[in-house]
Amino acid sequence: MGVHLLNYRPWRGEFKEPSASVWPIARVGLRMMFRFWPFWVIYGLGLMIFLLFFFGQYLLAWAETQTAETDVRVGGFGSADPRVLIGVLRNILKLNGSGETYRNFLWYQGYIVMVVLALAGAMLVGNDVRHGSMPFYLAKPLSRWHYVLGKCLAVAVFINMMTTLPALALFVQYGLLDSWDYFLDHARLFFGILGYGAVLTVTFSVLLVATATWLKRTVPMIMTWATMFLFPRLVAPLLVDGLHFDARWRLIDLWNDTYLLGNWCLGIDLEQIRPSPQPAFAEAAAVVVILCAVCLTYLLRRVRAFDIVK
Amino acid sequence: MTNGRARVSPREWASAGQAGGGVTQATTLIELDRVSRWYGAHRALHDVTLTLAPGRVGLLGPNGAGKSTLLKILLGLVPPSSGSGRVLGRDLASAGMLLRRAIGYMPETDALVPGLRGSEYVALAGELYGMPRRQAQRRAHEVLSYLELEDARYRKLDEYSTGMKQRLKLAQALVHDPPVLLLDEPTSGLDPAGREAMLRLLLALGNDHGKSMLLSTHLLGDVERVCDTVVILHHGQVLRHGGVAELRTTRQDRYRLQIQGDPNAFLEDLRLEGVRVIQDNGRGELRVAVPAGWVSRAFFTLADNNGVLLRGLRQDDEDLEELFHRVLAENGPAPV
Repeated sequence: MGVHLLNYRPWRGEFKEPSASVWPIARVGLRMMFRFWPFWVIYGLGLMIFLLFFFGQYLLAWAETQTAETDVRVGGFGSADPRVLIGVLRNILKLNGSGETYRNFLWYQGYIVMVVLALAGAMLVGNDVRHGSMPFYLAKPLSRWHYVLGKCLAVAVFINMMTTLPALALFVQYGLLDSWDYFLDHARLFFGILGYGAVLTVTFSVLLVATATWLKRTVPMIMTWATMFLFPRLVAPLLVDGLHFDARWRLIDLWNDTYLLGNWCLGIDLEQIRPSPQPAFAEAAAVVVILCAVCLTYLLRRVRAFDIVK
Repeated sequence: MTNGRARVSPREWASAGQAGGGVTQATTLIELDRVSRWYGAHRALHDVTLTLAPGRVGLLGPNGAGKSTLLKILLGLVPPSSGSGRVLGRDLASAGMLLRRAIGYMPETDALVPGLRGSEYVALAGELYGMPRRQAQRRAHEVLSYLELEDARYRKLDEYSTGMKQRLKLAQALVHDPPVLLLDEPTSGLDPAGREAMLRLLLALGNDHGKSMLLSTHLLGDVERVCDTVVILHHGQVLRHGGVAELRTTRQDRYRLQIQGDPNAFLEDLRLEGVRVIQDNGRGELRVAVPAGWVSRAFFTLADNNGVLLRGLRQDDEDLEELFHRVLAENGPAPV
């Protein structure tokens, strides 16, 4: 290695505030996620769910213009009575622009989000711990808060790409197909979608970053993630519906807790939520808040400054 | 205020860490006044008092000497348990983030971000230091070219060799052009050629570009080659501190002798004169340390008196490594 002394040039410029380092951390996290090919496969699945809702709403709008007919051809799929088609789309599939439409969409997208997070979580955060990248980040003029925020922001951007943004696109599409009044009459839904997205974003980003910091590797991450979300999902209905325990036992199912909060954001009554009975919204909120607080506390203890110089 | 949480004005943020931001004009690089650090019941640093002028400083010490704790304190990552100190005129206890902006830190461990390419990694470091993105990218390419990594800058970090990784770590520490570099074992894992190149580079950065650096290492040759000041730490205390040349003047003069004949009486006489036998291979080759004011002619006199033929005599001075080990040996076990 030779030394090119003449090539070294001093740098004169102004530094940004430490908070400006949050986005570069997030951007690098997202870049690594995008370079992970299974991400695009699963993202494609998520896109299919969106397209199903998108074209379902379009089909409903079209069927509503065909009520004078008794039998209409639906693309290459055969023919149907438009009134039956409308009934199926509106009442069974709930593609009616109500809170239930967006709730169902966010619910289905949640599955995809879970799978991607389980796969990419270790890569996003665990690698920093496993490959000793922490000294790189934390020896810079930023605090551990900035690091945690950066990682959470990366997860948040991804979650919103999969849930909130497409849900808002469906909201806009329904309004454009229906009438401008839809936007005014259902303004609450707009904020409800944002709220549901925020619940998913905060809960899963904090939980993912904490779990990945703890487990570091992909396989344990997938196993733990599955245990956290699938096992309680099987046990809770068994306890409440099968053994007639108190409805509060459903609180062990974190997925159901976020679902309840989403319903609350979208203005859906507790009685309308299936399976019934469900615990109160406030109780679900308490579980989510406590879980987030525990995860944040763990993260801040784990990402301690004296891990930097060994 | 705890470390890293000091309130600073935007102007101070913007200029902190720039070589032109007043730090190179500082007459003192590091000032520590009775700094101690405890981890529970374990005392990692004990009443460390140091004043170091800007320049190239070697920090020597065996494992557990307190080097890492001192680095953490100097980086503003850990506040001292007691005592006070300043780096580049900034208070250690309250200016953690400002300090880290003014310091380029090269960690001992790989500390790479897997999946990134060389230029992305260095540019990210620049952004984390607070540089605007475009400037960080441009600067990353400049620094990588300077360190002769331009051909490898688009390669993934996983594909870098050990020597390249060391240079890359130096690049990320240099990207924001800090006035001070804090280097933790910069030649660790390098082959002789790579080590030589790295040391030349560090010398050049210090001599030609006015970078101050604190080189934490256990390789005394590195310190001897690059540094003009050395601090020897042991059991959390500063054992020796001074210029490398100055420390050399405190070394013991040593000689290698080749003798023929019965050595016992000769060795006994040497001991009586205060000469310490360091090495005796039993085949007439001796290595001895002589007391101050010793004249080499005395060897011949003693040999003559004891019927021994002195076949060879040459001076064999104590190097920094021996000085280091002697200082450690003289200071014995840690104070409880």
